[in-house]
Amino acid sequence: MDVALSRNGRRALRALFAAVVLFLYAPIVLLLVFSFNSSVLPTFPLSGFTLEWYRQFLSDGELHGALEASAIVAALSSLGAVALGLLASTAIARRRFRGKAALSALLLSPLVIPYVVFGVSLLLLFHTLGVQRSLLTVVIGHVVITLPYTILVLVPRLQQIDRALEEAAYDLGAPPRTTFLLVVLPLIAPAIVSSFLIAFTTSFDEYAVASFVVGTRNTFPIYLYGALRFPSRLPEVIAVAVVVLCASLVVVIAAEAWRRVAERRLVG
Amino acid sequence: MPRRVDLRTPALLGLPLGWLGVFFLVPIGIVGAYSVDILSIVPGSHSLTFAGWHDLFRDPVYLRLFWKSVEMSFIVSGVVVAFAYPLAYYLALSGTPRKYVLLLVLIAPFLTSYLLRVLAWKVILGNQGVINTFLFWSGLRSPDHPISQLLYSRFAVILVLAYIWLPFVALPIFVSLENLDRSLLEAAADLGASRWQAFLRVTLPLTTPGIVAAFLFVFIPTVGEFVTPSLVGGTTGYMYGNQITDLFGTGFPDWRTGAVLALFLLVVVAALTAVFSRFNRVEAV
Amino acid sequence: MEGEHDLAAHTITRRQLLKAAAAAGGAAVVVGRTGAAHAARAHLAAESGALQVLDWAGYEVPQLYGPYLKKHPGEKPKFTFMTNEANALAKMQAGFRPDVVRPYVGYVRDFATSGFVQPWDPRLIPNFKYLNPVMVKAGQYQGKQWGIPADWGFDAILYRSDKVKPKERSWSLLLDDRYAGRIAWFDDLNQLVWAGYYLGFKTPYDQSDEELKRSQDLLIKKKKNVRMFWSSETDMDNAFASGDIWIAFAWPNDWVLMKAKKLPVVYMRPKEGALSWVGMLMLGKGTPRYRHAHDFADAWSSVKSAAWLENNYGYGEANTKARPSSSDLLKVLQLANPNAVREPNAHIDRYVPRRRVYAKMWEEVKAA
Repeated sequence: MDVALSRNGRRALRALFAAVVLFLYAPIVLLLVFSFNSSVLPTFPLSGFTLEWYRQFLSDGELHGALEASAIVAALSSLGAVALGLLASTAIARRRFRGKAALSALLLSPLVIPYVVFGVSLLLLFHTLGVQRSLLTVVIGHVVITLPYTILVLVPRLQQIDRALEEAAYDLGAPPRTTFLLVVLPLIAPAIVSSFLIAFTTSFDEYAVASFVVGTRNTFPIYLYGALRFPSRLPEVIAVAVVVLCASLVVVIAAEAWRRVAERRLVG
Repeated sequence: MPRRVDLRTPALLGLPLGWLGVFFLVPIGIVGAYSVDILSIVPGSHSLTFAGWHDLFRDPVYLRLFWKSVEMSFIVSGVVVAFAYPLAYYLALSGTPRKYVLLLVLIAPFLTSYLLRVLAWKVILGNQGVINTFLFWSGLRSPDHPISQLLYSRFAVILVLAYIWLPFVALPIFVSLENLDRSLLEAAADLGASRWQAFLRVTLPLTTPGIVAAFLFVFIPTVGEFVTPSLVGGTTGYMYGNQITDLFGTGFPDWRTGAVLALFLLVVVAALTAVFSRFNRVEAV
Repeated sequence: MEGEHDLAAHTITRRQLLKAAAAAGGAAVVVGRTGAAHAARAHLAAESGALQVLDWAGYEVPQLYGPYLKKHPGEKPKFTFMTNEANALAKMQAGFRPDVVRPYVGYVRDFATSGFVQPWDPRLIPNFKYLNPVMVKAGQYQGKQWGIPADWGFDAILYRSDKVKPKERSWSLLLDDRYAGRIAWFDDLNQLVWAGYYLGFKTPYDQSDEELKRSQDLLIKKKKNVRMFWSSETDMDNAFASGDIWIAFAWPNDWVLMKAKKLPVVYMRPKEGALSWVGMLMLGKGTPRYRHAHDFADAWSSVKSAAWLENNYGYGEANTKARPSSSDLLKVLQLANPNAVREPNAHIDRYVPRRRVYAKMWEEVKAA
């Protein structure tokens, strides 16, 4: 006898699960359907098949500029977050020191700050210092936001690694830097990639903080938010939405799958 | 085994902490300065004054709005946790072989674009949106009487926010259920408890930290939410975060009041987080 | 006012662009013949760098200042965008010094006394004589020409004549309980102004505390009937076109747009008086590009640019000779009447001495 679920219980929950998954993906599927719909307004009944909106997407320079800006911001901020995260994670996972709990809490605290407050605080900082708002100010904000995510991924992985491997390297006379590069780094490589991807997708999609500190060059979410107010641009935006949503779904699932496989192989 | 002298911890932590210090802590301090007029957007000389804070508590308009946002966040968090728990339960305890894959399927939408998912609902909920035109087409409602409360309303904000957060919330509850010691349930069964009783007396209490964590994971960001309300909220879905945004950017700038409101939100959130971590530590068995 | 527009719908044919360029070129040839122009060219040669313009989104389009580009080939102005005047002033306080900025007529005094702008020299603006004298007067403060009037329009009520039967021709339609959930207000403190006119106050732009409280209470009480506060014009157009709202605080262009979508709409001027607004180009103090700035203002004031603005954005332009090709627009803008923007026909936006208080009251309406 199953102590947690009866057969009916299991059936009911399975149905609920299916219903919820349907609910979660239905709007995305609807966007997919309407991206091929020939009417400008997304309404039923459907009017006809067209690739026009995707064609517009491919030739829209402003949109490409925004996508590019977001890619740059995401790449730079993720690199920064991973670098800082690696430093912090190494300290947390490998060193004992006083106030570790408090410092860990501080490093993770950007997770709980409401983005409206953080956005405002950065706006005020740059205004007070007289720093011009730009893509760089967005990068700065995104490094803060994504740093906790990198730490949350890297620390467990670092703790997982068998220290005996490092000790062995020391015993063989390897200096700490070499040990790190040749022993530790390869073992945590999948986690580094994973944390980079999490930071990247978070930054790429981030609107709230960016809306406060962006300069004259729009990021993709800012462009998107503005375009949501132009009725005739809606079909094109829907086409973009479908592409970005599907791409990110694929990336996320593939990355996670790859990480599991890679880590299982790098037993250590 | 030679012990390396541990000089490098400060070096390791220096950079990350420095970055957070300059770009996280200092800005919050500056918000505080604006809230008490030490810094100001209005030209002229200024001195420390708590008038902004005084006004917040004396004129209850903004506190009422805060309370309204708290209410809405409560509803969103409650609904989302109520749905997420059975889903996580199914994944963790039904013994399905593909539980991690299914978990990923559940969580994946959360990792895609936030704005685009809100857009999807804007398309679905309008008077000429998917739901209404479907109702017209199928004859269930006449085209003159669309259901207009679907969009630009408090309902729309709650629905969309619940949609956004549901995938994410399943995770902490799932982890909590995964860590549940099955033998406890078996022991309960041996002692004659029905499945329901076992659930109520064993599973539920032991997974409460996971539930509370999940609830707070949604509640805290949602209280300060402003993006979704601005897109689908209309006048009734206007939230505390919108007020702050208006005071700083889109409306007539009143940075002192905005700073007071922002700091107030931060203090409440920090207090909640502190209480929760204390609660969590006590629960750790 | 925000000029966010659906530019994709307004394509310019090459013919129109070439015509505009030719006209501008012809003008330049004529000007070049006079001696004064020789001196002007000498001054121009001394100014360098791109013209810095602080303007609203949608106004960076080159067709709005075609003659400027013809006169200064290869010198495109550089645009930074503003979303409201108070924010623009804050930017300038923080050190940003544009050569040209466009606040609206209610802010002429605020900007004139800010210390960041200086009066224009109308002698350097050949098109100045064609500008509507009422609007020109509105751009003056203490006898000097601080603002060159450019775009203008009304604030009134747009409603669906097939769905809505107003009890009277009044601002009360925006408060009508019968149409709860179908009404849209503008997200701006000027809502307190029309409330003031509805309540019959003497000076709604300068209400006393009691009057403001009454206006605010009225708005808060009737807020339940309002579906949205719009800040982006196309947001409101979208909602109106899709039937989400039937009644809106709107500009003349919205009427033209809805008619184009074959909707039965009426642009109603309330009996208490519609409001009117005029965009005022202002000159940055100490600008190193003095002549360029004047040329820019002149380009805006040209008939070609004005007609383009009217045809494509549905706003009026201060140049009295400019006419839109749409007769609907001509009618609703009352272009035949040079006194259209002022009393008794409409209440032109003006200096609000207690603007900070108004802003606070309006934020409270939104929060309530």
